Amino acid sequence: MLDLLGLTSAEELFSDLPKELRRKKFALSEGRSQQETYKALAELASRNATYKSVFRGAGSYVHYIPAAVTSVTSREEFLTSYTPYQPEISQGILQATFEFQTMMCELTGMDVATASHYSGATAAAEACVMCAGKGRKVVTFSNIDPDTLDTLRTYLGARGIALEVLSADNGNAVLKSGTGGSVLYIQSPNYYGIVEDVSLLVSAAKAEGMKVVVGGNPLALALFRSPGECGADVAVGDAQPFGLPVSFGGPYLGYMAAKREFMRKLPGRIVGETKDAEGDRAFVLTLQTREQHIRREKATSNICSNQAHCALTAAVYLSLMGARGLKDLATKCASNAHYLARELTRVGAKLFYEKEFFHEFVTITPGKASALTAALERKGILGGLPLDEHRILWCCTECVGKADMDEVVSIAEEVL
Amino acid sequence: MKTVFEKSVKGRRCFEVSALDVEKYDFEAGALRSSLRLPELSEPEVVAHYTALSKRTFGVDDGFYPLGSCTMKYNPKLHEVIAALPGFRDAHPLARADKMQGSLAVIDTLSAYLAGITGMDAVTLQPCAGAHGEFTALLMVRAYHRARGDEKRVKVLIPDSAHGTNPASAAMAGFEVVTVKSDADGLVDLADLSLKAGEDTAALMLTNPNTLGKFEKHILKIAEIVHEAGALMYYDGANLNAVMGVVRPGDMGFDLVHLNLHKTFSAPHGGGGPGSGPVCCKAELAAFLPDPQVTRTERGFRFGRSDWSAGRVTAFYGNFGVYVKALAYIVTLGGKGLREAAVTAVLNANYLREKISYFYPVGEGRCMHEFVLSMRKLREETGVTAADVAKGLIDRGIHPPTMYFPLIVEDALMFEPTETASKETLDAAADALKEVIELAYTDPDALHSAPHTTPIRRPDEAGAARDPVVKEEL
Amino acid sequence: MKQYTGTHEWVELRDGMAYVGISAHAAEELGEVVYVDLPETGAEVTAGEPCCELESVKAVAEVNSPASGRVGAVNDELADSPEKAGEEGVWIFAVADPVLADGLMSEAEYLATLG
Repeated sequence: MLDLLGLTSAEELFSDLPKELRRKKFALSEGRSQQETYKALAELASRNATYKSVFRGAGSYVHYIPAAVTSVTSREEFLTSYTPYQPEISQGILQATFEFQTMMCELTGMDVATASHYSGATAAAEACVMCAGKGRKVVTFSNIDPDTLDTLRTYLGARGIALEVLSADNGNAVLKSGTGGSVLYIQSPNYYGIVEDVSLLVSAAKAEGMKVVVGGNPLALALFRSPGECGADVAVGDAQPFGLPVSFGGPYLGYMAAKREFMRKLPGRIVGETKDAEGDRAFVLTLQTREQHIRREKATSNICSNQAHCALTAAVYLSLMGARGLKDLATKCASNAHYLARELTRVGAKLFYEKEFFHEFVTITPGKASALTAALERKGILGGLPLDEHRILWCCTECVGKADMDEVVSIAEEVL
Repeated sequence: MKTVFEKSVKGRRCFEVSALDVEKYDFEAGALRSSLRLPELSEPEVVAHYTALSKRTFGVDDGFYPLGSCTMKYNPKLHEVIAALPGFRDAHPLARADKMQGSLAVIDTLSAYLAGITGMDAVTLQPCAGAHGEFTALLMVRAYHRARGDEKRVKVLIPDSAHGTNPASAAMAGFEVVTVKSDADGLVDLADLSLKAGEDTAALMLTNPNTLGKFEKHILKIAEIVHEAGALMYYDGANLNAVMGVVRPGDMGFDLVHLNLHKTFSAPHGGGGPGSGPVCCKAELAAFLPDPQVTRTERGFRFGRSDWSAGRVTAFYGNFGVYVKALAYIVTLGGKGLREAAVTAVLNANYLREKISYFYPVGEGRCMHEFVLSMRKLREETGVTAADVAKGLIDRGIHPPTMYFPLIVEDALMFEPTETASKETLDAAADALKEVIELAYTDPDALHSAPHTTPIRRPDEAGAARDPVVKEEL
Repeated sequence: MKQYTGTHEWVELRDGMAYVGISAHAAEELGEVVYVDLPETGAEVTAGEPCCELESVKAVAEVNSPASGRVGAVNDELADSPEKAGEEGVWIFAVADPVLADGLMSEAEYLATLG
C-alpha cells in the first residue's frame, strides 16, 4: 500500500500536522488481549451491588425482558447499521421504526410520532421548546420528574424561554388561571406515582390559550385514557419500560407524539411510507427539511443520532406483549403496588398522598426513611427511593411477588 | 413487506405475564381507555418478522461501509457481552453511589482516558450523541463568559464546510451563527476569520481534520486569533479518528471537545443510535460541566455538584451502556493501539483515494482519514449523478459514501474507509467504483435505475414528503 | 408584465395587487416542491424580506417579497398541490397596497444575470 503512495512510512501522511504538535509527547498505554479486557471490566461490573428484589423506580424501571427481544435486536444488521440514509438497503430498520411510530401513536392517541429522542427528559424539553410559540413561557409543577425539570430548565434557559414551576403540595397538579404561560407541561403518572386528571388540566390550560404537553410512563397508557383522547397537543416520555434494561440510566428511549398540526415542526427523525419505482411499498426518512443537515441554524432541533436501536427494542417488546399482555403487565404492577402500600400502612407507615396512584407511591415514616432502606439493603433488597429523612418513593413491577413484598413488610415492621 | 400489524391475527398471543398472587386492583372506570390495538402474534411469528426485517438492513458486518464522517468501523462482539454483564445491565441509576462503585469507576476511568486522548482536564459523559455534546459544550461556553461578566458574546463562528449540527446546536444554545469562509481545500480562510472574530464572539466551532479530510495546518494561528478575541475554541470530534494518539486537540489550542463514542470508539450505531457524545474541557471550564460529576474521595467515588454548572442535559448520567463499550475498546487497544488505528485509517483513505485518483478528487495532496470526490464532471458528461453512482455501488455490495456533503463541494461523495477495512476490501471497492464509472459512459440508464438487487427500488421521496404517511391506520 | 428580483422571484401587478411567484430557474434549482409554508392573509410584508418558504425533499427556499404591503391573498391550491408552485406563471401570494422594491429587473435583464 505504501508503494502505491510512494511512501516509506505511513507516518509521512501526517506531514501537514504542525511539527510542534507532533513532537509533543504524551503517555500511551499498552493494549490488552480481549480476554484481559473482559476480566478487567467484569471485575468493575462485580463492584456493583445486585439485588434479589427491586422496589425503586423514579424514572428507571426493572421489568422482565423476554429473551426473544434481546435475541432479535442483537442481530448485527440492527446493531451496527448507521442512520438509514440509503433506503434501499435500510428497509428493515425503517419499517421497524415506522411500526414503532404507529405503536406510540396508538398508545398516546396522537397522529404522528418521531423515531426517538435521547430520553424522556430531552423529549419533554424539545416538545416544550416546539410549543413555546410567541408567548415563550412554560408552566409546570413541582411533581414532575426532577431530572426532567432540570433538563427543561437547561433547554428553555438556552433559548430564553421562561419557566414557572407551580407547587403541587397535595400531590396533584392544579392549574390556576392567569399564569400567562404559552405551554403547560404535566406528567401523569407524576413523579410520586399519582394519576393526574389530564382532561381537567387540559381544559384549564386550553381556556388560557396554552398548548399542553403531557409526559409520563407509557406503561400506564395500557390502562388509562391517552393524552390525545384527553385533548393534549403533544405526548412525551421515556419508553425504557418497554424492553430496555435499567443499565445505570441509559440508553433509554425518549418518545414524542403529537397532533397532526405539529407534523412539520417536530424535532428529530420521522419515517414515512411511500412507494418505490415499481409501485411497491417502501419506507424512507421523511419531512427532512425540518432537520439540521438541511436547515442548519433554522432547524427545529440539532438532533442527528437518536435512540433508534432502543425504538426497535420497544417495537419488538410491544409486538410480543400485545395489548392483552401489556394490560396484564400494567395491572400486575399496579396491583402489587397497592398491596405493598396497604401492607406498609398496616405496619406503621402512612401514605403521604391519599391519591389514586399507578405503580409508585410515597410513604411517610418520620425520621426512619434511611434506616428502613438500609435494613432492606442488608437483606439484598433495593428499597424505595428515600426522598428525605421521612418519605420514601416506592415502585412495584411484575418482577416482585407477594413473598418479596411480605419480606419488605416484615423488615419494615422491625424498623418502624 | 407486510407490517407487524398486518400480520396480526385476532386473539393470537405469546407472552404471558406471570399470574397475580395478590388481589387485583381495579381503577375507576372513568379514567380507563376503551381500546388498545397492538399486534397479536405468536413468539415465532414476531421473531420471524423482525428477523426478516434485519435481513433488509445493511450493517457493518455485511460489507464495506465507507460512509464519510460516520466512521463505520468494526464493532467488536466482546463489547456487547460486557455491556450486558448483570452488574452493569441491572444497575439501578438511583441506587446508592457506594453500592454502584463499579459504574462510577467506569465513568471515572473512561473520563480519564478521554481526557488523556484529547489533552483536556475534565470530562462529562452525560450527552447522548454528538449533537447533544455540541449543545452541552456551547452551554458551557455561555456559562463561562457569563461567569466573567461578559454578556455580549452572542455569536458563534462556524466554517461553511461544517456539519449541519454545528449551526443547529449553536442556535439551540441561543447563539447567533456567523459563517466563516473556506478556501479550496476547505481550510479556514484566516483573513475572513480575523475579520469576524471580535468582542461579540463566544467561540469558534471547528472540525479538524475538516469535512474534506484536510488537517487545518494553520490551527495554532487560528487558535491565536480566536483567543486574542477573547473567544473559546471548540473541537467537533467527529473526525478524531484521523489523529487520536497522534496529536491532541488540547495541544492544538482547543478549550472544549466533544467526542462521538459511537464513531471513533467503536460503539455500534444501532441503525441511528444510541450514541454517546462526551464533552472534555480545560480546567478553567470544568466548573461549568453538567451536573452531576463523579469525584474521587478517600471513601470511593461519589457524585458531586457545581454551583456554576451549565445545567443537566438529560436524565441520569447519559447512555451508560454505550460508554461501557467505548471503555472496553480503549482498554483493549491501549494508547498505542489507538494511534495505530488512526495511522491505518489515514493510510487506508489515502490508498483508496490514490487507487481512484483518476476520478475527480477534491483538493490537492494527501488526505487524512476521509476524502471527497466531486461527480460534477461526470454529471455534465453523462447525466449520471452522485446519487446514481451511490446506488450503483449498492448493487456491488458496497454501502455508498456520504452523498452531497460537504455543501461546499458540488455533487460530493465523501469516503471514509476506516482502519478496519482490509487492503482486499479497498481494492475491491476501487474496482467496483471503476466499473460504475465505466457504466456511466456506456449505459447511464442502468445507473439511473439502480439499485437492482435490493428489496425495493428507488422510493418516491417527494411523494413521501408531499403526502406524509407517518403511521399505519389501524 | 412580470418584473424580477435578484433572488429569483417575479412580481406582476394586476388589479392593484402584486402577484408573486418564483422564476423557472429557481424552480429548477429547488426541484419538486413538496410543501409550501404560505404566509397568513393580512400579514405585513416588507420588500426584500422572506415571508414564505418552499420545500423540496432535500432543500428549503425562502421567498422574499418583491413588494411591501400586506398579504391580500394566498394561492390556496398550493396547500394540496405544492408541486404547482414551481410551474411557470403560478402565483404563490399577492400583496395588497403594494410598494414595489427598488431595482426590479425586466425578464431580459433577469435572464442576463443567470449567465
